[in-house]
Amino acid sequence: MKKSYISLWLLLAVSFSLFFLFSSLDNQPSIFGHRLKSSKMAETILCDHDVSEAESDTLSQSAFNEPAPAFPVATDTATQTLLFIGDSMLDGLSPRLAAYASSSGHTLYSVVWYSSTSEAWGKSKRLQEYINRVNPTFIFICLGSNELMVRDIKEKRKPFVNEIVNEIGDIPFLWIGPPNWKKDTGINDLIRESVPEGSYFKSDGMHFDRRKDGAHPTAASAIVWLDSVVRWMPDHSNHPIRLEMPQKKTDRPKRVFVHQPSEI
Amino acid sequence: MDITTVLNNLVEQLSYRPQSPMLFSSGLFWALFLLFLPIYGLIKNSHTKMSLFVIAFSLFFYYKSSGCFLLLLVATSLIDWSLSRLLVKLTTPYRRRLCVTASIIVSLSVLGYFKYANFFLWNWNQMVEGNFQPLDIILPVGISFYTFQSISYIVDVYRGSVKPTETWGEYLFFLSFFPALVAGPIVRADYFIPQIRENRRATREDVFGGFWLIILGIIKKAIIADYISQYNDLIFATPTGYSGFESLMGVIGYTMQIYCDFSGYSDMAIGIALIMGFRLSINFDFPYQSKSLTEFWRRWHISLSTWLRDYLYIPLGGNRQGTFRTYVNNFLTMLIGGLWHGAAWKFVFWGAMHGVGLAVNKACRPLTKHFDGQRWFTAISWLLTIVYVSLLWVFFRADSWTDSVLIIKNIFCNFSPSHIVPFLKVRYVWVIMMTVIIISHSLPRRFYDNLADSFINSPWAVKLLVFMVVVQFVVEFAGEEIAPFIYFQF
Repeated sequence: MKKSYISLWLLLAVSFSLFFLFSSLDNQPSIFGHRLKSSKMAETILCDHDVSEAESDTLSQSAFNEPAPAFPVATDTATQTLLFIGDSMLDGLSPRLAAYASSSGHTLYSVVWYSSTSEAWGKSKRLQEYINRVNPTFIFICLGSNELMVRDIKEKRKPFVNEIVNEIGDIPFLWIGPPNWKKDTGINDLIRESVPEGSYFKSDGMHFDRRKDGAHPTAASAIVWLDSVVRWMPDHSNHPIRLEMPQKKTDRPKRVFVHQPSEI
Repeated sequence: MDITTVLNNLVEQLSYRPQSPMLFSSGLFWALFLLFLPIYGLIKNSHTKMSLFVIAFSLFFYYKSSGCFLLLLVATSLIDWSLSRLLVKLTTPYRRRLCVTASIIVSLSVLGYFKYANFFLWNWNQMVEGNFQPLDIILPVGISFYTFQSISYIVDVYRGSVKPTETWGEYLFFLSFFPALVAGPIVRADYFIPQIRENRRATREDVFGGFWLIILGIIKKAIIADYISQYNDLIFATPTGYSGFESLMGVIGYTMQIYCDFSGYSDMAIGIALIMGFRLSINFDFPYQSKSLTEFWRRWHISLSTWLRDYLYIPLGGNRQGTFRTYVNNFLTMLIGGLWHGAAWKFVFWGAMHGVGLAVNKACRPLTKHFDGQRWFTAISWLLTIVYVSLLWVFFRADSWTDSVLIIKNIFCNFSPSHIVPFLKVRYVWVIMMTVIIISHSLPRRFYDNLADSFINSPWAVKLLVFMVVVQFVVEFAGEEIAPFIYFQF
């Protein structure tokens, strides 16, 4: 074999081994205060992925099958200031919620933090900052999509989910669960157990048309998704708010705050 | 560590999974390339062994992307090769024409069925107001690319410009060569087949020059294009949800995204081939530096535009039959070029408008040539070209005609400078990425040649460091989702 091939092969082999080793570490090293991300090489090869695919082609109204809260709840007809926080799933959900907000006279602020997790939000106090900033009267959350496959999730994420709930305090909220594209390792159960009854919408089990990435619902499917949330709220939410069916499919929130994955 | 789990995971990784095609920017490809390279290096000098090994690897590569459509590729190559052997034995012009026509019809029929059947059925049902149920057809990855390769091969054999391959294996090598298999560049037989025969040795410059191209491709595709696409996708998903300025940024963003995505893939393909000792022609030559639409098409997707020129435009008559006919030929060529990109009216419109633009460009030439070389004219020409190209990308990318119009209307009717500062604050990483790619696109080729020379001659440890830093950047900026190459769908 030629010398240059050996040289290139060694280069690839060394870098491949180092990245593999790096990805198998539990705690990634930091450079200038930035914790380096690792690839999923070790997880892909070494971990047991014995999880069956979600029944994605069956329309399952699982969220609607949940029992309604035992207490009677009247719809809050007041004009609201809505805060919608979460991960990239807001790309599809937020414009639809903005359309509902417009038609109902509410004001919507959206905070999209790409690739974010309950850990990122729980650690950063970012939610508290936005609560102080916009004084919401109702909060929507959509988080969990980036944590479907986290091992030992209850031990690892419980403190952060609790921290999010603590930061919300007395403000009524609804946590929209992740639109599973494969069976999760417990994020949905964790959220359901950590929030008050009537504050969690289970998206797992619903049918979604996905974008090419296989994860995010298409724009049209995200509209249907949020419409399902709105239909679910009057009978199941512990604080239903007035959301009139909009004329427009989508609209703009009053303001969208964007945070990059690099800020995690 | 459970060995059964590891084995199961390896089998799963090596099996066909429609949601996970093997991309050049994926870890799986590089893990396999790590196995491929030493074996290839050892058997390269034995023509037969090398050919069989590369064919086997190419077929596996295609299986990972398209599953059982692998058989279609093999069958296509067998039919084409058999017809090419028959063609050289025929002596009468009529029979030769019949043979080449049969081959082209077979190739186009397969492409037509998989790519255009639903499109034509949908249009037919629109006309007769029928109840359209789309056929359950999956488009095999790369079919548009290898179909064009097979057509060019049989036509070249017919014209006598290419000697047909002696063995089916040699032809299968040409058609399935994995670096160019799924998204080009479209390899021409007269350029590539002699390289298989001469079994050229890869020099040190080839190996590390190729590796440098791969690094450039990874930066363009896996860092820049995939990152900026996150914002661009928002704009195109909800055109009414953003201000005019944000929409404008989305359009400029997509203009750079499609360039980085496709040219990044081409760089990686050319680089991998170069490491193996094969030269593929360049596919992009700084297209957004073009000062006319004609120049743009000499710099953008060069392997496709030269294919269309040689096998469509010139056979239609080219510029040999008068001015008006030249315009018509140009228009028809671009129209078909548009349809090649996808079975939808938006691609037809995109191609047609490029055809119109080329005709206008040619018609204005006698009037404008007096200003050639003057700075103001160069600046205006560049601006007009880039604006026209960018606006047409909107129709290419948007999901519907309505969305395209909404985005363009938004830019002109809902534009407020008050959005600029907030945008720069929240989208600063996007802005930095865009600035980097715009500046690097403006630099002359000489700069990149010098950079490549420096890399090739740098110590081994520096090369390792550069590669690892680039890969770490990919990991840092990667989203949760897989971002397939845009041109995979064509």
